[in-house]
Amino acid sequence: MKVDPRLPTPGGIPEVDIDPMLYRHLAGAAVNVELDTGDMILNLGPQHPATHGTLRLVVRLDGERVIAADPIIGYMHRGYEKLVEYRTYPQITTLINRIDWLSSFANEVPFIFAAEQLMGIEAPPRARYIRTMLTELSRIATFLLFLGEMGLQVGAITPAFYGFRDREYALNLIEAVTGGRFHPNFNRIGGVKDDLPWGWINDCRQSMKKVLDSCDDFENLVAGNPIFEQRTRSIGIVPRELGAAYGVSGSNLRSSGVDWDLRRDGDPYGLVYDELDWKVWTHPDGDSFARYWVRLQETRESARMVLQMLDALPSGPIMAKVPRIIKVPEGEVWVNCENPLGEMGYYIFSKGATGPFRVKIRSASFSNVSILPWLLRGAYVPDVITILASLYFILGDIDR
Amino acid sequence: MKRQVKGMLGGLGITFRTMMQPSVTVQYPHEREEPTPRARGVIALKEENCTVCMLCARSCPDWCIYIEGHKEQRPARREGGRPRSVSLLDRFDIDYALCMYCGICVEVCPFDALFWSPEFEYSEPNIAELLHDKDRLGEWMETVPEPEPLELGAEIKGKK
Repeated sequence: MKVDPRLPTPGGIPEVDIDPMLYRHLAGAAVNVELDTGDMILNLGPQHPATHGTLRLVVRLDGERVIAADPIIGYMHRGYEKLVEYRTYPQITTLINRIDWLSSFANEVPFIFAAEQLMGIEAPPRARYIRTMLTELSRIATFLLFLGEMGLQVGAITPAFYGFRDREYALNLIEAVTGGRFHPNFNRIGGVKDDLPWGWINDCRQSMKKVLDSCDDFENLVAGNPIFEQRTRSIGIVPRELGAAYGVSGSNLRSSGVDWDLRRDGDPYGLVYDELDWKVWTHPDGDSFARYWVRLQETRESARMVLQMLDALPSGPIMAKVPRIIKVPEGEVWVNCENPLGEMGYYIFSKGATGPFRVKIRSASFSNVSILPWLLRGAYVPDVITILASLYFILGDIDR
Repeated sequence: MKRQVKGMLGGLGITFRTMMQPSVTVQYPHEREEPTPRARGVIALKEENCTVCMLCARSCPDWCIYIEGHKEQRPARREGGRPRSVSLLDRFDIDYALCMYCGICVEVCPFDALFWSPEFEYSEPNIAELLHDKDRLGEWMETVPEPEPLELGAEIKGKK
């Protein structure tokens, strides 16, 4: 069943083990009435390992329970929306690589596609396939890191090493094509910069098999572990209506049971998802375990998609005909896409110059984090870390 | 309870299997992993190709390339012709403390004077030393790899 998360759905909150509203009632009630211990205000961060950057979280505690949590963002604000007004289009791709540094290739594609739409250029099929493959590889790299690191946040140190080890498979492939592990800067208006090097397809096939194997390992090692399950089951439940109302997107929303993926339901933003055979994974629970499980399945699905694309890779040119000095005609365009962390969008307003007049960037983590004050209320302090880790945000993506 | 024991044992099996596999860690200063030929390590300058057109300095997103040049009159090629004016490079500095390694300068260079080299071991204790002048940039030319062959189905481009 396809549900547009922006519309209120009938039927109320889906069946979950614990009524999430219970948390709010518990948070409102004074727990230690007899002892009257008073509240304690605790600063988590700005330098806290569970926040993947500099997110400051001011929590008011009553004993072990969080009464109120207030995320304070902006420590990494770099002013991209203003900065790109003073850069040309080829220069901007180098900057927007750094928004979400774990999946930087996926950041470039929608921006370049938006500029292509304004110019009326379509990338040739081989370039579109290469773009899709590298987007999925960066998704794999992001999620494999999550799969390992989520274990670390709840106290298991082994999966973190496995995650960092397996992420190298995807990163090495990206580096072999683009030359950069983290900041590829590979998309050009009208295509991609370079073709695949000799032997890459064979390497990619072997690496994807390794990724599929390591997904099995994570399923048995982390998701099947009883301690991990107890730490994550019914922790941080995001109800589907509330999540949609806060603008939570991507795998965080899919793990709340909303069958909604922009790769399938939206405009495919110049990529070839409609030519592939794949599945959108959802989980009805909406808790931290569901978020882990959905990302695990999506990593597998991405690896399968890459394997399909390797077989179907067309031959031909990788660049359309574009003028040497790129001037984008007047107009405005909005492109949104499914990034590894959620929905990402670019609104470009062009006045016909070599650079855009105004760019609005909608990044996924900013909206994903906005649910934190609601989600953390009533949680225990160790669960705060679980919730932060399972929401999986990147600070560069929040602050831009 | 049975499922929980099974989950624990399954996890232990995976860690045991991994323990038996060879380690993937590279002990860096003693053994070295070769980066891919396309890796963007350092920019090399072929000085004789540079015509001081300033395209790279202008297209750099964070303006970390500093170029100065002057023009010189050379005698005419033919008898009775006008003397030629040649641009000569005085200064070509790249500040690697600022460089984002995006490769736009290499790409816009119309005379093939800039190249990527996968070399990466040039860290310095003093940040001012990261400003490489044209002699230092020219030394990197030895490490520039040959262009590698492309994958099947790629369009072979003619030489410019």
